[in-house]
Amino acid sequence: MKTKTIIFAMIILVLIVGSFVFVNGKKETANVSSNGGQVIQGQTQQVILSQDGYNYEDAVADAGKPISLSADSSVGGCLRSVVFNVEGKKYSKYLKTPKDTLDLPALSKGTYSFSCSMGMGFGKIVVK
Amino acid sequence: MTFKEFKKELNGNRVEGELIKTVFYSLLTSFIVLGILYSLKFRFIEDFMSTKGYFLFFAALSYSLFVPTIRQVRAYREFACMAGMMIGMTLGMIGGFLSGFFVASTNGMFIGSVFGMFVGMSLGIWNGKCCGIMGIMEGMMAGFMGGLMGAMTAFMLFNDHLIASMVIVFLISSVILVSLNYLIYREMKLEERKLKEDHLRTFVISFVLIILTAWLMVYGPRSGVFG
Repeated sequence: MKTKTIIFAMIILVLIVGSFVFVNGKKETANVSSNGGQVIQGQTQQVILSQDGYNYEDAVADAGKPISLSADSSVGGCLRSVVFNVEGKKYSKYLKTPKDTLDLPALSKGTYSFSCSMGMGFGKIVVK
Repeated sequence: MTFKEFKKELNGNRVEGELIKTVFYSLLTSFIVLGILYSLKFRFIEDFMSTKGYFLFFAALSYSLFVPTIRQVRAYREFACMAGMMIGMTLGMIGGFLSGFFVASTNGMFIGSVFGMFVGMSLGIWNGKCCGIMGIMEGMMAGFMGGLMGAMTAFMLFNDHLIASMVIVFLISSVILVSLNYLIYREMKLEERKLKEDHLRTFVISFVLIILTAWLMVYGPRSGVFG
């Protein structure tokens, strides 16, 4: 095979596989999820995170109600980018301003730990 | 002038004339493996494309750039110290950085850096040994640093244009690897090829790398935030 033919075949191959990956990837809900679709109006509880030294202050929430999580102005740096792992699913958002929220599903009783996206600052939500 | 010669040599009879074919075979191997795995297993995994598909696609593209460089280095076998150190360092660093970056994007920093260091140091040592202990050490150090750096970068960019960063990192790495191919050509253009081999090694290296990456991304251990 000539080099030009190989290059042409390679470009076609990469374009086909690449477009398959990107088109299918956009159709799905991304792992980094923060869409408000799962929050039921009227039942949502607000939880506001604060910073305590290099970590988050512990927060408290009620069981069985979806959570709308925000971070007050005391939270700075990478701690504004919050990552939760709830039952194997990742919830994450960069809470740029105190008005930005991350929507979490209703949680059952227990303690849920989370971190900033760099894994430097940690916190927990105690669900009662 | 020499770069024009290099471009001309990509159609020639030396090992440089086989580089593009090697990229193609490596891509083909990786895509076939991924295609089979996708149709049998991965398509049943929720959000597979958005959480792992992008990274596997770019991993396949990246590995297809490592393999021709390995072939080129093996073809000449022995290099001067400076060139050998550059080979060890470049392959160790880029190999470690990219593989660490991809795996850390899906599995977290720990497993990403371990995999990145493993791939980077293996490639660095294997290719750096073309000039002896200096190249081996350079490859080892570059793989160690690249693996950690790649994983850390991915983890830090997690909520900040991770996919766009991956594309940029891949493009820069491609330019560096093609520059390495050119450097090797410049260093060795007066030398005879010492080893002529078929493409079995291309298939095997691509297969092993892509299988390892896919297995780690889908079934491998993860840090807490990745579930």
